[in-house]
Amino acid sequence: MAAAGPSVFLLMVNGQVESAQFPEYDDLYCKYCFVYGQDWAPTAGLEEGISQITSKSQDARRALVWNFPIDVTFKSTNPYGWPQIVLSVYGPDVFGNDVVRGYGAVHVPLSPGRHKKTIPMFVPESTSKLQKFTSWLMGRRPEYTDPKVVAQGEGREGGNTEAAIPKAAWICLPAWLTLSFCPQ
Amino acid sequence: MKSKEEKVKIITEEYIDDGEDAEEERQKKPSKVPRQKRKKQLPAASREEMVSENSPVDDQQEPVQEGSDTRLLGMMSRRGPRSLPPIPSASRTGFAEFSMRERMREKLQAARSKAESALLQEIPTPRPRRLRSPAEKESETECGMELDREVQRIQQEHDSQGHSRVKFHDSVRKIKSKPLVPPGFPSAEEAYNFFTFNFDPEPEESEEKPKAKNRHGANQEEKEGEEEEPPVQEGVSKTDEEEWLDGRDAEDLLLGLDHAVEDFVAIRPADYESVHVRLQREKELLFVPSRRTVPTYKKLPENVQPRYLEDEGLYIGARPEVPRTNQNIMENRLLTQEPGRRWFGDDGRILALPNPIKPVPSRPPMFTQAQDIKPELETLYKKAVKYIHRSQHLIGSGDSPGNFQLDIDISGLIFTHHPCFSREHVLAAKLAQLYDQYLARRQRNKAKFLTDKLHALRNAVQMGLNPAKTPKTLETTSKTINEYKSEIRQTRKLRDAEQEKDRTLLKTIIKVWKEMKSLREFQRFTNTPLKLVLRKEKVDQKADEEAYEAEIQAEINELLEEHTEEYEQKMEVYRVTLQRWKAWKKAQRAKKKKKKQEVEEHPTDEEREEPGPGEEPEKPAPPEPVDRAVIEQQVRERAAQSRRRPGEPTLVPELSLAGSVTPNDQCPRVEVLRREDIKRRSLFLKVTFNNKEVSRTESRPLGADFRVHFGQIFNLQIFNWPESLTLQVYETVGHSGTTLLAEVFLPIPETTVVSGRAPIEEVEFSSNQHVTLDHEGVGSGVPFSFEADGGNQLILMTSGKVSNSVAWAIGENGIPLIPPLSQQNIGFRSALKRADAISSIGTSGLTDMKKLAKWAAESKLDPNDPSNGPLMQLISVATSGESYIPDFFRLEQLQQEFNFVSDEELNRSKRFRLLLLRSQEVPEFRHYKQIPLYDREIMEKVFQDYEKRLRDRNVIETKDHIDSHRATVAKYLQQVRESVINRFLIAKHHFLLSDLVVEEEVPNISILGLSLFKLAEQKRPLRPRRKGRKKVTAQNLSDGDIKLLVNIIRAYDIPVRKPTASKFHQTSRSSRTFTEKHAASPTTHSPAHSADYPLGQALVRPFVEVSFQRTICHTTTAEGPNPSWNEELELPFRAPNGDYSTTSLQSVKDDVFINIFDEVLYDVLEDDRERGSGIHTRIERHWLGCVRIPFSTIYFQARFDSQEDEKLLQATEKFRAECALKFPNRQCLTTVVDVSGKTVFVTRYLKPLNPPQELLNAYPNNPQATAELVARYVSLIPFLPDTVSFAGVCDLWSSSDQFLDLLAGDEEEHAVLLCNYFLSMGKKAWLVTGNAIPEGPTAYVLTQEQSHYLIWNPCNGHFYGQFDTFCPLKSVSCLIGPDNIWFNIQQYDSPLRINFDVTKPKLWKSFFSRSLPYPGLSSVQPEELIYQRTDQVAAAELQDRIEKILKEKIMDWRPRHLTRWNRYCTSMLRHFLPLLERNQEDVEDDHRAELLKQLGDYRFSGFPLHMPYSEVKPLIEAVYSTGVHNIDAPNVEFALAVYVHPYPKNVLSVWIYVASLIRNR
Repeated sequence: MAAAGPSVFLLMVNGQVESAQFPEYDDLYCKYCFVYGQDWAPTAGLEEGISQITSKSQDARRALVWNFPIDVTFKSTNPYGWPQIVLSVYGPDVFGNDVVRGYGAVHVPLSPGRHKKTIPMFVPESTSKLQKFTSWLMGRRPEYTDPKVVAQGEGREGGNTEAAIPKAAWICLPAWLTLSFCPQ
Repeated sequence: MKSKEEKVKIITEEYIDDGEDAEEERQKKPSKVPRQKRKKQLPAASREEMVSENSPVDDQQEPVQEGSDTRLLGMMSRRGPRSLPPIPSASRTGFAEFSMRERMREKLQAARSKAESALLQEIPTPRPRRLRSPAEKESETECGMELDREVQRIQQEHDSQGHSRVKFHDSVRKIKSKPLVPPGFPSAEEAYNFFTFNFDPEPEESEEKPKAKNRHGANQEEKEGEEEEPPVQEGVSKTDEEEWLDGRDAEDLLLGLDHAVEDFVAIRPADYESVHVRLQREKELLFVPSRRTVPTYKKLPENVQPRYLEDEGLYIGARPEVPRTNQNIMENRLLTQEPGRRWFGDDGRILALPNPIKPVPSRPPMFTQAQDIKPELETLYKKAVKYIHRSQHLIGSGDSPGNFQLDIDISGLIFTHHPCFSREHVLAAKLAQLYDQYLARRQRNKAKFLTDKLHALRNAVQMGLNPAKTPKTLETTSKTINEYKSEIRQTRKLRDAEQEKDRTLLKTIIKVWKEMKSLREFQRFTNTPLKLVLRKEKVDQKADEEAYEAEIQAEINELLEEHTEEYEQKMEVYRVTLQRWKAWKKAQRAKKKKKKQEVEEHPTDEEREEPGPGEEPEKPAPPEPVDRAVIEQQVRERAAQSRRRPGEPTLVPELSLAGSVTPNDQCPRVEVLRREDIKRRSLFLKVTFNNKEVSRTESRPLGADFRVHFGQIFNLQIFNWPESLTLQVYETVGHSGTTLLAEVFLPIPETTVVSGRAPIEEVEFSSNQHVTLDHEGVGSGVPFSFEADGGNQLILMTSGKVSNSVAWAIGENGIPLIPPLSQQNIGFRSALKRADAISSIGTSGLTDMKKLAKWAAESKLDPNDPSNGPLMQLISVATSGESYIPDFFRLEQLQQEFNFVSDEELNRSKRFRLLLLRSQEVPEFRHYKQIPLYDREIMEKVFQDYEKRLRDRNVIETKDHIDSHRATVAKYLQQVRESVINRFLIAKHHFLLSDLVVEEEVPNISILGLSLFKLAEQKRPLRPRRKGRKKVTAQNLSDGDIKLLVNIIRAYDIPVRKPTASKFHQTSRSSRTFTEKHAASPTTHSPAHSADYPLGQALVRPFVEVSFQRTICHTTTAEGPNPSWNEELELPFRAPNGDYSTTSLQSVKDDVFINIFDEVLYDVLEDDRERGSGIHTRIERHWLGCVRIPFSTIYFQARFDSQEDEKLLQATEKFRAECALKFPNRQCLTTVVDVSGKTVFVTRYLKPLNPPQELLNAYPNNPQATAELVARYVSLIPFLPDTVSFAGVCDLWSSSDQFLDLLAGDEEEHAVLLCNYFLSMGKKAWLVTGNAIPEGPTAYVLTQEQSHYLIWNPCNGHFYGQFDTFCPLKSVSCLIGPDNIWFNIQQYDSPLRINFDVTKPKLWKSFFSRSLPYPGLSSVQPEELIYQRTDQVAAAELQDRIEKILKEKIMDWRPRHLTRWNRYCTSMLRHFLPLLERNQEDVEDDHRAELLKQLGDYRFSGFPLHMPYSEVKPLIEAVYSTGVHNIDAPNVEFALAVYVHPYPKNVLSVWIYVASLIRNR
């Protein structure tokens, strides 16, 4: 409500990428970035980040714990396009190639307070078995052109024959990632 | 086993029977549960405890004499009260939870020891047990040890039945086997010792003990139980099996010597029974049905063939599966046991019902999913249901908000009977009641009314009898008279009854009053103020008598008449019957005669023929004639009874409360008590609405007159239609509680009854309360009598009347607050259905108007009720059928509720509008960021551009464009562009998988091979190929991420300065062209002039400056005319609005300018004396030329869309595929997209078209010159790349006329037009597609001259020979003629190295061939092009304006310096420019000489720019890029001249001459 500029509201997000459950993989790291609408602008903090590599815990939970902090502040004039955090998890495959292990996105919680979110992770699937094999062999799994597409709706609609994106593009994994937020 | 079980049970029971009640109850329950256990543990436990408890039990034993009954009984009686069980007291009392089992064990133990001792006793004193009397036995058994009894029973069985012995032995064996000889049990030796001793008789006591106990507990039952037992037994009371056995042994020993043999142990071999014998015996006893199949004939009656119903086609259900053997056994058994064969069916099989087992389980299978979800844990989702409480009676949301009001006015209460009524009160109440009745009757006065009616009727009859007066027919008259008469009769009866009633009532009143008076006298006090006064009204004696007599006479007459009538009727009847009787008599007589004869004939039949004596009809008696006297007598009697005697005064009773009540002190005590009792009583009423108390009146004391006045009005605010309305009468006596006397049900008022109009009504109530009082009050529900002897008893119940009124309240606006009729339920129970439309006709019925109307009619909806208005209107509309009923179904009928503001308001909101426009991707707002939060923060001007654009859509804006035609064109282009963009906006949002997911291609063989080949490749090839950069996706780009890389390698043939004069320097060829790409023979300048230069500079010091988006980078300065820089320049790229999407990038119109400058160093030193100390030079740069590369060339993304037309397309596809297969790099152009978005075969664009005539006329004799001129004309049409105009879209080809109209187009349009011109000029011309240097993929024109081919660049009008190395066209892929396409299948594609002879199929693959002949496609071009001459005046005007604008711009660009214009020079240049236009090359030298002459003392640096005219902006850009304005010498002057040369069809050639002048000193 400052007299000078247009009035905005601020969204401050503190949180951390806590842990993940990737039953099959180990030694993973995680990238995060935010996707937000046109009316949003980051004012402080880091919009993107890349975490350390973590190994599975030795206990029964086999959790991959990062506890990687997130701290960002947005300003906005419109709740439309509320920020989403996009997470992508990478790790080495058998041959030591860095491959993507999962994508996931979740909206920053709407209400202030501590929130804990667990998001399912998914990766795009190869379009054919052969592709799958070769990609495995070459360590170049299918990836999204940009992790941010997981936070967008475009291209997911069906019924568009010429530009239909196979369902393979959105394959869920038995993996979860836990985040906690403290938006203010 | 059975016996043992029973035993155990019995033991427990015995314990329970034990006297200890407290424990008994406590342990009854647990006793049931552990029973099973106990059974097993019993023997073991008993063994353990036996030792420890033997002695204490024994110690307790008392010496008791045995054998005598009396003694026993006495002892029993003595021990009764104590009756302690023989167990340690500590164990009994110590443990709260003393286990039953333990007790049992103890018990058992005790009993055992007792028995033992008994045995010990018995043995030394051998008692002849057999001799014991039954009584004694009984007394012993009476001790009630069930154990004993059991044993006895067994014994008894053993005695009586032979086979039971086996069983018994078994049981004994079992018992014995377990408890062997317990440790504490006396051995045989001990026993013997014992026996030899003399014992005190104490042990007997132990035997008696339980007896006593049982006596105490359950004497009777025990006895009964015992009595049932047969007295045959001989056993002593023994407690345990062992004992019994011992006892038996002893018995055997004792009893007789016959047993001697048995007594001695005789060892015999085991009896062997041979199997055969046994079987034989068994056979006798047992029946074993055979397993063999029974032949059918046995199962059927004889001589009956089996009948198979199934074969006969009848349905028999499947028989249950029974094994064959079982069936056989059964059949055999049945045949033997029940020979009746009724078990067998017709088919000889056992009758059987169909198999009841269904093949499919009817219970749904339970799939127990592996530990996933247990069915009981499964959650069921149920949609939330809105809670509607009492929906039927609640006002629906559609109804008017329910605040309805019911006013209940309770004025008071009167008891017609109350327990506190004294006798007098009873009478008074009666009197009051009667009086009320009387008043009511008098008010109605029915008797009078009937009398009057009677008179009228009589008159009527008299009138009717007089035929003269009535003109009616006789028949009708008589009929009416008859009717009248019957009417009179009835009326008279009624009147008489009424009169009698009146009279009796009056009599009763008087009687009651008399009674009351006598009562008052009797009791000597008065309780009630009632007083009856009989008023006598005198009557006129005479008149009265006359009237009386007349009345009587009339009545008599009438009666007489009636009776005569009756008599006559009767006579008639009589006659008829008499006739019949006579006839019968006759017949009878005849019969008798006959009978007599018959009797004679058949005497036996006599009796039968005798008719019953009752059948004989009696002889009818004639009716009595009417006697007037009798009738008169009757009438008079009746009159006397029911009517006031004539002359007798009329009695009018008047009841008043004027009497005085005797004061308390004069009353007897009982009466005083009664009055005091009344005073203690108070009453109140509770108002209950729908069985809920809603309010209550104040508590008011009961008055002495048994009236309670409340006078309260309750306003009930209600929502529901009242179901019931009750008043509850409560009475409070003193300070004790209240009692409900009675409930009064109030009627729910009609809707018309509203407050103020409702009358006070009295509602009676009564209670069935029984009250007897100890004072004068008569009580209620209790008989009492007024008479001394108590006869004529009365039972009065408490009763009374509540006077109240119930009405609907009236609201403020005068509308009664009544719930709408739709919920009214008239007679609630039955009318529920009628009241609720939905429940009555169903929901679907609501849409059926007829049904609804019917329902409305049935339920008697009040049409005038405003709340029914809509419904009634609907119904009336529906039934009349006049109005239109919408047959649509509104999907979101609740939408209205969710509209938080109206649409207008929403549209007025600037913010909303902004959001909407952005969402629609309106170009102005597509990338609008941070739409403000509040409306007030949105500036109006935000919309201005948009609105202006919308407004100007059809208005042609000439301001920017100067030239009206261009403005129109620009507008048109804009519109086309918009529409196309809109069309492709949709397509933009469609993503391909490749847009989203990066996936490695599947390596096919060729790629694999290549990659293998690559392995063998040299790591650092000598001639490295340019590797394509990795494609960058546009999504995550931001400003600064993209850089434009420009590699400046080298330059050829840069013009050098001509050192013409020492003091005059001028760039030599700057005036020649505006670009360096010129085919004209390069005049190579030898760099031999360096010596001339004052500072020893090279003749040219060129450097390259690249500018893009106003960012400038430049290379280092090189020396000489053929410099080599080899530098990479980086230019940052900013996308418009920071949007890096495809469409946005494609719409970037910015060009990359590559300018070559000549750097000139001037010695600015004023004074030669300072030369030694410092160097003062000024660097000037002189523009040499530029290359303009549109950004669209750099950023080009080809994506094809939309197609249409022809089967040709298939062929083209095939052709293209073939071509692409061979030469993937060569673009094969077969089809193009026209302006309307249709795919068109490319040859359709080529057709001879006439160039402007004036061009042809210019050089009539020189075809080459004409061709050049035509090419120049085409090049003057402004260039506008398609990617810019149709951003995001591919190439669009416009036809030549469209092109000329638009005056804008890219290479293709230019090339097509030029080609068409050449064709029309008779040249052999083709369209060449290929790659050229600045343009990229482009189209040129190829012409075949006499001996050689010429390649024309259509965009600048230059032509090159085929072998010209400077030809910008670097590769040729396709030639397109008017009727065919030839694809280059030669090895090379450089024009230098290929053969253009299209007739050779080895070199050129033609589209149309013999196999696919040219089908003769119609051209898309017009027949002829029409040219208008351009307006010269307009051109001149435009020229002035451009000049003005440019001058202003230059001044703007030099904000820190003064810009002086050299007017002289400007005018000179202005004269010079038309010459340039006319004769482009030859004027050069003249011009230079001219300049030199005119501006001798100026250092002149200038150049003419030549451009086709499209807009002003490119001109400004071009001038800017020359950097003329950058010269900041203090005394610099400028000259700028513009010349616009008009060509036909508004094609304008613009010349701009810019120069800077520095005066030489």
